[in-house]
Amino acid sequence: MGGRMARLMFYILAAMVLMTLDFRGDYLDRFRALSGYLVEPAFIAIEAPFKFAGRAYDNWRDRHELLAERDQLRQSLQESRARILLLEDLARDNRELRGLLGAAERVDTGLQAVELRRIDLDPYSHRVVVNRGVRDGLDSGQPVIDASGVFGQVDQTLLHSATVILITDPDHALPVRVERTALRTIAYGSGRTDELRLTDLPMNVDLERGDLLITSGLGGRFPSGLPVAEIVSVRRPEGEAFATALARPLAGLEGARHLLVLMRADGLIEDADDHPDHSEHEIEPVVELPQIEPQEESES
Amino acid sequence: MSGRDAGQGLLLLSLALGFAMTVMPLPGVIEPMRPYWVALIIIYWNLEAGRMRHLGQAFVIGLLLDLFTGALLGQHALGLVILVFLLERFRARIRFFPPWQQAAAILALLANDRIIHSWVIALQGTGWPSWTWWLAPLLTVIVWPFLFLLLDLLRRHQRLGRS
Repeated sequence: MGGRMARLMFYILAAMVLMTLDFRGDYLDRFRALSGYLVEPAFIAIEAPFKFAGRAYDNWRDRHELLAERDQLRQSLQESRARILLLEDLARDNRELRGLLGAAERVDTGLQAVELRRIDLDPYSHRVVVNRGVRDGLDSGQPVIDASGVFGQVDQTLLHSATVILITDPDHALPVRVERTALRTIAYGSGRTDELRLTDLPMNVDLERGDLLITSGLGGRFPSGLPVAEIVSVRRPEGEAFATALARPLAGLEGARHLLVLMRADGLIEDADDHPDHSEHEIEPVVELPQIEPQEESES
Repeated sequence: MSGRDAGQGLLLLSLALGFAMTVMPLPGVIEPMRPYWVALIIIYWNLEAGRMRHLGQAFVIGLLLDLFTGALLGQHALGLVILVFLLERFRARIRFFPPWQQAAAILALLANDRIIHSWVIALQGTGWPSWTWWLAPLLTVIVWPFLFLLLDLLRRHQRLGRS
């Protein structure tokens, strides 16, 4: 019995040491990266039947339903096109203004459409698996967005898949700006998929429920001007030095299937650094219209 | 000797399927309640066939599960090692329990495992899991009889097929 107890203690200790190493630092990153090459084929194999079932379901779906969906999509495409026309005009204006101010030119960012693999990771790891990887030019740190806002950033890349860390991961911090007041701050993940936290706000901060948070472009990872979240509540606790606020992410962190990865984001670093602080108050930066790379594999 | 080899095949196959069912997509509402398949499969082989009795095996499987699910490395390993230790401790008794009592014992083991997991999750500062997450042991025990019967059937079939 004593031997068993000793072995139990040994394994418990080993698990705790591993957890601490994994939590504290990057000691195990290499190990994880290597193991990824083992895990990836398994993921693809597990995903296959579900993918097949999805395809079979699409084939079997009622024609009327599909036609209705097509009409709806066509309409939304038209709306988007109209909006893009307006945006192109704004982008031109913006370029001219930037030229006048001598501010750095924005870099064009390419987009890579990715799809979530039908794999559920541990719900508390705040990561999802997507179906593009190193082979498609993905790299750790690239921003990931969906149709409504910032989703997260690429974390670990494998050959044909990658994990994306959500902006709600407790380790994730995103430099943001309040659209209405141009106040810059940082949005931290809260560990819940419907919540971001703003801490260390001044007590007299001008912030209200419904204010929109957009990326500030500081830090160089994310281009500025992408919608991030909406303020849900502001708290000014009595006797504390700072006010805090909670925000709800705009991206569909729970239900998204299709995402976009912003490529070539490295050029943005210079942009963010050269950027004089005051210029951000005067012009509303507009995201340069990106070229969408067609996705060769379509699932419809 | 070949009987043991054949049993080995079934053991590995059931574990592989358990891993697959751990990451297979589920609708969002029942996702937190996902049955703990791998634990259940280990419990079955331990009680009924006297396999998977070493803490080391539980540890390695736990580590693989951590890599698979992207959890903190060691989280599932810790839970499974403690689960197998307790299972071994009370194995003689649990084996001869009537079915419902056996299910109750397994529920207790799984609930204990959830407590360990919640402790690790809380230490990471991720906030507490939703209340449905605590229902997972219950759902796991509900699928237990089916898994038990299925694996029993397969094992008997395999034995008959050879003789």
